[in-house]
Amino acid sequence: MPDDRELAGTHASEGLLVDWVPGTAAVDELVVSRQSESLDSDDLLVKKPLGFLFWLALGWVGLIVLLAVIADLLPLANPNFQNYSAINAGPSVHHLLGTDDLGRDLLSRVIYGSRVSLIVGFAAVTIGMVIGGTLGLISGYKGGRMDTWLNAGAFVLLAFPAIVAVIAIVAFWGHSLYKITIILSVAVIPLLYRVVRASSLSFANRDFVVAARTMGASSTRIVFREILPNVIPAAVSFGLITVAGVIVVEGTLAFLGLSVALPTPSWGNIISEGATNGNLQVNPYIMLWPVLAMFLLLLSINLIGDRLRQRFDVREGLL
Amino acid sequence: MASGNEISRRSFLSRSAVAGGAVALGAGAPSLLAGCSSSSGSAGSPTTGSKAGVGTGTPKRGGSLTVGTLADIDGFYPPSNHWDTNGYNYANAIYDPLMAVATDGSIQPYLAKSMTSNSTFDTWTMTLRPGIKFHNGSDLTSAVVKANYDALKVSLLTGVALKQVASVTTPDDMTVVYTLTAPNPTFSSGLTTQVGYVVAEEMIQAVTAHPSTAPKPIGTGPFIYSQWQPNDHFTATRNPNYWRTGFPYLDQITFKPIPDTVQREASLRTGVVDMIQSTDPNTINRFSGSGGSNYQLVDTRTGVIGQPTVAFLMLNTAVTPTNDLRVRQALAKGLDVATIQRLFGGGFAKPINGVFLPDSPYYSNTGYPTFDPAGAKALVNEYKAQHGTPSLQLITITDPLLGKLIQIVQQMWNQVGFDISISQVQQANIITDFVAGNFQAATIYQFGAVNPDLNYVWWSTTTLSPVGQIGLNFPRNNDPQIEAAMLTGRHTTDTATRVTAYQAVNERLAQDLPYLWLDQYLFSEVAQNRVQNFNNPILPDGGAQYAYNEGIFVPTQIWLA
Amino acid sequence: MGKYLLRRFIQLVVVSFIISVLAFLLIHLLPGDPATIILGPNDTAQNKAILLHQLGLNKPLWQQYTTWITAIFHGDLGQSYLNHQTVTHILATGAPIDIELIIISQIIAFAVAIPMALITSRRPNRPVDNVATTGTFGMLALPPFVIAPILVAIFAVGLGWFPATGYVPFTQDPVANLHNMILPSLAITAGSIAVYYRLLRSDLISTLQEDFITMARSKGLSSRFIMWRHAFRPSTFSLLAGAGVNIGALIAGTFVVEYLFALNGLGYTLVQAVYQRDYLVVQGIALVVAIAYVVLQFIIDFIFTVVDPRVTRG
Repeated sequence: MPDDRELAGTHASEGLLVDWVPGTAAVDELVVSRQSESLDSDDLLVKKPLGFLFWLALGWVGLIVLLAVIADLLPLANPNFQNYSAINAGPSVHHLLGTDDLGRDLLSRVIYGSRVSLIVGFAAVTIGMVIGGTLGLISGYKGGRMDTWLNAGAFVLLAFPAIVAVIAIVAFWGHSLYKITIILSVAVIPLLYRVVRASSLSFANRDFVVAARTMGASSTRIVFREILPNVIPAAVSFGLITVAGVIVVEGTLAFLGLSVALPTPSWGNIISEGATNGNLQVNPYIMLWPVLAMFLLLLSINLIGDRLRQRFDVREGLL
Repeated sequence: MASGNEISRRSFLSRSAVAGGAVALGAGAPSLLAGCSSSSGSAGSPTTGSKAGVGTGTPKRGGSLTVGTLADIDGFYPPSNHWDTNGYNYANAIYDPLMAVATDGSIQPYLAKSMTSNSTFDTWTMTLRPGIKFHNGSDLTSAVVKANYDALKVSLLTGVALKQVASVTTPDDMTVVYTLTAPNPTFSSGLTTQVGYVVAEEMIQAVTAHPSTAPKPIGTGPFIYSQWQPNDHFTATRNPNYWRTGFPYLDQITFKPIPDTVQREASLRTGVVDMIQSTDPNTINRFSGSGGSNYQLVDTRTGVIGQPTVAFLMLNTAVTPTNDLRVRQALAKGLDVATIQRLFGGGFAKPINGVFLPDSPYYSNTGYPTFDPAGAKALVNEYKAQHGTPSLQLITITDPLLGKLIQIVQQMWNQVGFDISISQVQQANIITDFVAGNFQAATIYQFGAVNPDLNYVWWSTTTLSPVGQIGLNFPRNNDPQIEAAMLTGRHTTDTATRVTAYQAVNERLAQDLPYLWLDQYLFSEVAQNRVQNFNNPILPDGGAQYAYNEGIFVPTQIWLA
Repeated sequence: MGKYLLRRFIQLVVVSFIISVLAFLLIHLLPGDPATIILGPNDTAQNKAILLHQLGLNKPLWQQYTTWITAIFHGDLGQSYLNHQTVTHILATGAPIDIELIIISQIIAFAVAIPMALITSRRPNRPVDNVATTGTFGMLALPPFVIAPILVAIFAVGLGWFPATGYVPFTQDPVANLHNMILPSLAITAGSIAVYYRLLRSDLISTLQEDFITMARSKGLSSRFIMWRHAFRPSTFSLLAGAGVNIGALIAGTFVVEYLFALNGLGYTLVQAVYQRDYLVVQGIALVVAIAYVVLQFIIDFIFTVVDPRVTRG
């Protein structure tokens, strides 16, 4: 399992920089290979359809996304309109989820807020996957100098206290939605890099890959035709978990005032509003609804990720 | 002890008071306050029977008091620190000021024995009390006071406050003579502030020898410095040789900074601290009625001497579109201040039409615009016809309460036709923005002062400078009438003239509209019932001292039941 | 072994160097400087020039950097421009708080996640498992700044079991110390519980399908014995890897809890120092945090070699 590259000779250099991150690289490979193994076994013993919960989860995610997209078309109150005679109102016919401490309709704010959270979550991870994932894919297969340097870079990025960088960059650059997204995508790149790399690495010396190489396939072809399809399940699974993580992190940034500018709602800043200024005792609904929505979304995303991984992972070692 | 010239400290990301929060005390030329409110009392207290903060029964010796504060002090050396009200609370434990404010608004000697001036008010003679010793045993002499003055004078931070002093001489051990550059009848009031706090020579020498270290604080105060773990706690122990015999009653006092207001209140309720300070109006609400039944509440809804700190929106008169008077008028008329007070200020409605509140002798009907959305819209349309939709950015610091405020204001102004964007800025940056005039509209708290002359620097035409350069007249309001009136108020000895002058200032401000008044900025303190007499300090020569000066309390006379 | 340690040491040095440069550049390139903060409204061009000169900040950047680095080798990390605390002192008083927070929260996390995973992995997708899964995701959706006020409202103000804020050093009074640290630790442990539970559970499920487990069962060993002796150890890889990443993120990520509970830890001090452009404090803490991260990874990797002898030390 660990460092089969040495056997296959896919890296060129020896020396002090080899196995730059020996432990962590081996760790990643182990982790991913264990996960892959579990899929075989799961399949043998527990072969069932995706399940009712899966479809429920998918439906919930779909609903959230749909509402976020068509929000403008729905008969929703203006999410930023402050109605000073309806401060902290509980759920009623006029305000299905109640109002917040400035009299804004919570249902509307949660739906519009989902836009920011979803965009930040999915976009940041997508960008991170495209950059970090591709680098990891190539690096895991090729090994060698590039792998060593990229590993070092990822390690350094992870060792640097992220909050300092975020504060600095937001102070310097400002906080609009796309800027926050980019900052967060940079933050997730090393994580996605490592996971995809480990997965890529675990396939790099499988028989079918070796076979393809002996048949004269170019590296590019091998990477994208042989390895990538095998890597996708782990990548998607981890990616979805990261989406969940990013959505939560956006909440913390909102608490620090580092997220999207007011009065644009995001789940993060609604939760932050609900947890400060003593609102928790006065009007717990402010915090409750976005937390509930986020909780259900996270649950759904992970459930989907789990089931997909179980169901659709490509069997290994076919050759 | 009139500070209160400060920008909000209540910011999540600024535990230390200096982080852009404290605007230095610019002034040294205040005027003696003539006959102001004399109540040293407290707001309606939830405890039945005795008045909150006024001790009943015989004072008991001993015990340790823990105070939960909003932030930590940035340092104990007056020449190199900014003390806002929070900082003064720390300072009052181990230092004494030369002069102090009485409840009738007059400036009385504290560490000094007397302070008199010549007939032209340009030479002031101060005599010291004999026999006062610092915590290190050294004597308080005029040489020490001069050494303090010398250090303050050369400091980048405090030098400007002493600009009006031409020289200081010490004819004998107990006498200090200040010679001013120009007559100033109110000079002594500056010595109730940071520049009037006296430290031992040993401390000054320690700083001179090691300029960038924090020296051990040595003062004459009721408590002796014991331990300071920055951002964690500050402890001082009883001074057994305190020159005010009989005081203090407490054995020990500890300050703990707890930046989050809700957590600070929870700390009081769970017994982590015995007393807390707050600038959140909701604290007053939460500790009134049944919520405060085991506590004593004192706040600045009553008992303020001079002007209280006010919260307002500041408009830059030197940039578009706020340089157009119609725009400022529209912004003023578009503000539903009553609703803002209800939502943001805890609901303690107080009509504000200027920098002086109704119980001030300088109060008058200034003609400040009232809430008139129709009138505002008309003005906006007029402007729009010529220049297009007026758009501007309203900024504040990254504080949840203020974030709420600017969202309210944004909606109100948008409803009368403006295009308002809002932004929350890091506190350090906002000070720079104000000083350089790089803003259009902003929230700010300022102007608390025992007498109006302390606010001269913020309104004067002499502190004007173009946008991009440093100027303390933040809104760049160029009004020679205000300048003339402030100077009249400073120099005149006739009460009626002074009143007219300051009323004129207030009325000009209502015309120029660099400031849109919102609410009084309330300070409150809440203590457990066993904390006795925290709101009832006495001056050394007798008479009641200004008890709760915009968030500053005196620890000397506190005892624990 | 020696070669391995040498390699890791060199890695530590190189990473520290890179982080030191990054931290230095990042904080210096931010607009504003400590002089502005210190001077406040006295921030005239003249005063600023004087102050910057006094603080040594008017020198070229590379020179400031080398001055800082050379000073480190003399044990001098510099001091705060604002309250003049030495960075060493800040680290010495702040680090124990963070270390303790991390240790307590991780102990709680493992103590909850491991048994839960052991129980539910035997019967995946049954009700118990679903409840546990739902519960852990609930915890993930509640970030610390939400959990903390709820905990305080219920357990401190409501029931009076714990104080709302406060800190007593462990060396001074262990009982009071723990009493104060429980709520803050609980606030940050929730996310860790969720992550560890998920990772361990999935590994356990896969391990339980392996042949050697079937073999053990056929030998007639009890389920509990199998779980603990045979299944657990090989299933800890993901958990350990996850712990490495999770704790790494916590090292400088506790600032919200520090703010809320008025704990004078490194996280909040770091954040504040960034806002106040307290360069030396930021650089010092960032450097130490990075070193701590590297050391942590080293420890995790070492545990890996102990747990699974197949992993080479390279």
